[in-house]
Amino acid sequence: MNLASLQADLWTVAPELWLLGVGLLTLLLDLVVPAGRKAAVGLTAVVGLVLALIPTSSMVLWQPRTVLFGTYAVDGFAVFLKIIAIVTTILVILSATDSMGRQTRFEGEFYALLVFTALGLMLMAASTDLILLALSIEYVSLTSYVLAGFLKGNPKSNEAGIKYFLFGATASAVMFYGFSLVYGLTGTTNLYQIAQRLSAAPVPALYLAVALMLAGFGFKISMVPFHQWTPDVYEGAPTPVAAFLSVGSKAAGFAALVRVLVVTLDPSRVNWVLLIAVLSAASMTLGNLLALPQRNIKRMLAYSSISHAGFLLIGVAAFRGDFGTPGVLVYLLGYTFTQLGAFFVATLIGSQLGTDEIPDYAGLARRAPVLALLMAVFMLSLTGLPPTSVFLGKFYVLAAAIDNGLLWLAVVGIINSVISLYYYAGVIRAMYIMPAASEAPLAEPAGLQVALGVTGLGTLIMGIYPQPLIDLARSAAVLLRL
Amino acid sequence: MPKVLLDWFYVAVFAVVGTLMAVLPLVVVWLLAPRADLPQKTITYESGVIPFGQAWAQFNVRYYLFALVFVVFDVEVIYLYPWAVVFRQLGTFAFAEMLLFLLVLLVGLAYAWRKGALEWV
Repeated sequence: MNLASLQADLWTVAPELWLLGVGLLTLLLDLVVPAGRKAAVGLTAVVGLVLALIPTSSMVLWQPRTVLFGTYAVDGFAVFLKIIAIVTTILVILSATDSMGRQTRFEGEFYALLVFTALGLMLMAASTDLILLALSIEYVSLTSYVLAGFLKGNPKSNEAGIKYFLFGATASAVMFYGFSLVYGLTGTTNLYQIAQRLSAAPVPALYLAVALMLAGFGFKISMVPFHQWTPDVYEGAPTPVAAFLSVGSKAAGFAALVRVLVVTLDPSRVNWVLLIAVLSAASMTLGNLLALPQRNIKRMLAYSSISHAGFLLIGVAAFRGDFGTPGVLVYLLGYTFTQLGAFFVATLIGSQLGTDEIPDYAGLARRAPVLALLMAVFMLSLTGLPPTSVFLGKFYVLAAAIDNGLLWLAVVGIINSVISLYYYAGVIRAMYIMPAASEAPLAEPAGLQVALGVTGLGTLIMGIYPQPLIDLARSAAVLLRL
Repeated sequence: MPKVLLDWFYVAVFAVVGTLMAVLPLVVVWLLAPRADLPQKTITYESGVIPFGQAWAQFNVRYYLFALVFVVFDVEVIYLYPWAVVFRQLGTFAFAEMLLFLLVLLVGLAYAWRKGALEWV
């Protein structure tokens, strides 16, 4: 073992080590900060996370390589997703500083858990070894189960925690069985070595391994047929946690999925492209159709997140060429801003009006004009209308599908976009056309205002002036293969 | 046999042998083992200690907290032993790493202590 190179490697995981320190500090601060002022703990965590963005983003331009005995990738793809993980965590903590204090007396632990989960998401995004990948996925899962069931006195939150745990434990077990098959077939856990030794492995066993592994990744990204937990967990979990799960876990899950499928498993050996394309069409269609009758905003966003997972899978299936992988990255970033924004509006309504039902959004345009306008922008963005961030992502993945000869998949995607307008527009209709039950203006807490401002600006700026981001996503995606 | 069929053959062998590995010992035991229906055989096995009371008794939830804190020290010792064995070869870098590891565990202990997990009320 070469200690000098190991020490040099440690610098490449400096952001992760820093986040570990921030998490521990948050946990210790919680011990000394008196009750009622716990928001300060959350703000300290936010400062720590913002500082972590500096070394992380400086790594975008680094020469891609693996470190720590080949188990950990330093490439643009990983860095891009690490930035998404950190930004998501910052915004979720900001949005939670107002409402969590009133809902639980364990507010400090809540922030610490979020920081630790962000660390897990970063590890997931960069793992290039099946063992490290398994450990980081498990790590994220365990903290997520606790976060989903965080409101101990609330039966729905308990239900969310238990359901998430039961589904997650089963999915993980199945996925690890797939990992063990891959290890048995190739004799190594390193993804890049697996890619080289794949030609010697029997094909049917590889298909079995891919199917088993997809159960775990599919659970994380809420892909059909592993999606059933999504609405119940999003509905029961505290709204900031639902926002976090629908964006953070999904992004990291896609990072792991893309790395395992695109980098490791050569489609000429194991043809997973058609499989992913079919699952993509199923996720888009089923998620959309089930979202149509929903009246609860969190359930509606849950089903819509299933359908967006389907859209993202288009980019995975159509990975060849210039649009696929950059498309996944662009889509993930745009979706991050928009989905978080929509959930933040739901957080604010939930904490101020005590309701998650869409009909109760009636008259919001008069009670909180800016909030209603932002929500309308988020809804239009989720539909995929220009000039918004998700439009850009959809444009990219659909272009990738056509570029890869998956025209039928692009058609399914466009039809689904049109269908989704119905239920997204339902929210806008409630806010702008339905008569209000009350005219009293809504209080808007500062933390939520900042979080909403960032997500709103992100959604619009990405839609109006996307060129810098497209360049970044392209350079990040090209680095993917070592 | 064509290549693809041969590959599937491996999977089939894998499945059959895997099932047999689980079922066969049970069948063999059922066939070969002598049967003696002594009353002792129905007693719950508790590491050789004669059990008392009912297994459905309610345990104080505090045992759970102590068990969790115990894990902190337990894991610590597991990693300290191999580290101590090769301590001279590894030098200051490993020393610093172990201190960092202990610091993380110490934070866990401080947290448990401050939250009252070590007190028996």
